[in-house]
Amino acid sequence: MNKPGLVLVSVSLLALAAAAYAHNAICDCFDNGDETITCEGGFSDGGKAVGVPMRVLDTSGKVLIDGKMSDKSDFSFPKPKVDFRVEFDGGQGHIVTIDGRDIEK
Amino acid sequence: MLYTPEAALKESAPVELALVFSHPFDNGFTMNMGKPEEFYVVAQRGEGEPKKTDLMQYLEPIEWAGLDSKAAAYVARPPRNVTRSLGDYTFVLRPAPYYEGNEDKYIQQITKTVINVGGLPGAWDEPLGLPVEIVPLDKPYANWVGGVFRAVVLSDGKPVPHAEIEVEYLNHEPQIGERRFDPAAKVTAPQESFSTLSVRADAAGQIIIGLPKAGWWAICALNLDDGLKHEGKELSLDAVLWIKATDMK
Repeated sequence: MNKPGLVLVSVSLLALAAAAYAHNAICDCFDNGDETITCEGGFSDGGKAVGVPMRVLDTSGKVLIDGKMSDKSDFSFPKPKVDFRVEFDGGQGHIVTIDGRDIEK
Repeated sequence: MLYTPEAALKESAPVELALVFSHPFDNGFTMNMGKPEEFYVVAQRGEGEPKKTDLMQYLEPIEWAGLDSKAAAYVARPPRNVTRSLGDYTFVLRPAPYYEGNEDKYIQQITKTVINVGGLPGAWDEPLGLPVEIVPLDKPYANWVGGVFRAVVLSDGKPVPHAEIEVEYLNHEPQIGERRFDPAAKVTAPQESFSTLSVRADAAGQIIIGLPKAGWWAICALNLDDGLKHEGKELSLDAVLWIKATDMK
């Protein structure tokens, strides 16, 4: 008697799991023109990126700044004096890397 | 027409707009526009708060060439910081009422064009609370050619059953730099009925249109608010939504 119900439950759980991963991480940064950079992020389903870890690294991979997205899904930091890249770490498969040279005003 | 070349920008960039009053399919006769009553953009990134930016200061009066006539129109080049964030941008134009001599009445078409930066959606499916508006049920900036587009027609926030709709393809691509429509047409109508497609909303005020060709399509819901007057004459209050179809290749 229980079997059909169990099958249905597991199918719907699978469907939920598939749906939960069917989005992409999105992050973009701009130069505020006052020696600071602001990055904004989110997910392609409109989801927020609150608390997502953000890292600023130099060309050797050394972490210069370690932070996270604010409750507005943004992250501001002082512009490093050296070449750098920004990593938005939305979890496995959801890491976005932005080259500092591509960040415009 | 509230035109900008791209509906889905890969990354933030300054957006150039042309505000022209014409018949999008044939573009022969272009009509004079008075100074718009309102011109602004509502930006929203993901589930964040919507942010309204007035754009009236960026309006530049110009003369725009249709195929058979020139008329007063506007271009606007808001600076990059207006469209710098990721998300949806709904541009709204409330033009000055236009006197249509043939019908001895005024026409005012409240027009929306929705674009997106970076693929992070905003509230493209929410009404802005305009007196009349067409609210998308499908992302208005991400439509493949051959798909359908659905929307609901609202007046005072309520669906308009059986609303009278006109759909036109933007057959002559605007050339903002030259301030004209491309004289070359993309398609030819076999008969006048094909220039302006006529559609009725269903009993729930919903419309569905097909998108058989890449480019911009205008959906116009006519005469949504009975009994309005402007300078003693009848005023037809219309809602327009521009959407773009993209080739699947």
